[in-house]
Amino acid sequence: MKKKVEALIQNVWFELIARWVLGAVFIYASFHKIIEPAQFAKVIYGYYLFPPATINLIAIILPFVELFCGLELLLGIYPRSAALVLNLLLMAFIAALSINLLRGQEFDCGCFSFSEKGYTYSARTLLIRDIIFFCAGLPVIFFPVHRKWCVLQSGSIRNNIH
Amino acid sequence: MPVRSIISEVALLLMLAVATAFFVNYFSPNGISLVGQWDPNRGVISAAPQTDAIFHELELESPETAKKIYDGGTAVFIDARAKSFFDDGHIKGAFSLPLGEAGNRMEAFKNKFPHGTYLITYCSGRECDDSHQLAQILLENGFINVSIFIDGYPGWTAKGYPIEKKG
Repeated sequence: MKKKVEALIQNVWFELIARWVLGAVFIYASFHKIIEPAQFAKVIYGYYLFPPATINLIAIILPFVELFCGLELLLGIYPRSAALVLNLLLMAFIAALSINLLRGQEFDCGCFSFSEKGYTYSARTLLIRDIIFFCAGLPVIFFPVHRKWCVLQSGSIRNNIH
Repeated sequence: MPVRSIISEVALLLMLAVATAFFVNYFSPNGISLVGQWDPNRGVISAAPQTDAIFHELELESPETAKKIYDGGTAVFIDARAKSFFDDGHIKGAFSLPLGEAGNRMEAFKNKFPHGTYLITYCSGRECDDSHQLAQILLENGFINVSIFIDGYPGWTAKGYPIEKKG
C-alpha cells in the first residue's frame, strides 16, 4: 500500500493532472469574486467569524491570491509554494465551514443578488469539495522529482531542485 | 525542508497578489471600500462599494416610523423579495415587485402607479439590500417619492404589525 502511494506521488502525469485541475479550479473560482467583490464580502460576512474591519480586505485580496496560485500551478511557476498556499487556505475554509456546520449556521439573506446568482451554499457540499481539493494539492506539494511542463521547478516541500 | 526557498517563493506570490488586488480594486467600477458597514445595528450591511446603491437619506430607521406612514395610508409598500417569499407572507396591502423582475415589469408598474406615488420598498431586513437596489431603479424610472424600510419583513412581523399571506 505504502509503495503504491509512493509510486503515485512520483508519477509525473498524476502530478501534472492534479496541478492543472487545481490551478484551473482556483482560477475559475476567483473569477466571480473578482468581478463582484461586494457579493463575495457578503459571503464572508455570512460566516459570522471575521471581524468587521477585515471583511472587505479579505474580499479584495483573497480572490487574487487564488488567481495567482492557480496561474502558478497551470504555468508551473514555483508550484510547490502555490499548492502550499492553496492548501493552507483550504484548511482555513474547512475549519470555517466545520465551525458553521457545528453551530448549525447557514447564511441566507433571502436576497435576489445572493440566491439568484448561486451564492447560497450548502456547508456540507462545500466541505466535501474543499477536502477533495486539499487532497489534490498534496501530490503537488510532495512531488519529489522533475515536473512535466514546468517553467520554474523549485522542487518539493522536502528538497530543492534546480 | 528548504524553508528559506519556500518562504521567499510564497512572499513573492503574496506580494504580487496583494499589489494586483489593490490596483484592480481601485480602478474597477465594482471596487469596494477598504472597510465596509457590517453592523446590522447601524443599518443595512454593505461592503459599501464605490458605486454603492445605498441611499441612507431615504431609509426609514425603525418599524415604528414605517407603521406610522402605513397607518397614514398615503404610501404603497413595495416588496422587493422573490415572489415565493411574498406568497409566504408580506406586509398587508403590499405590492410585489421582485428585484430580479423589476426591469421586465417596470412598464406595467408605471402604468399602475403615477410617478408621484409615495413608494416604500422593503425586503428581508438589514442583511439584505434588495430594497435599496429597487429604490434606485424606481428613482431612475422617474418615481420621486421613494423611501426604504430597512428592517423589512422580519422587522415588521417582530412588532406584530399586519401581514397577509397568499390564499
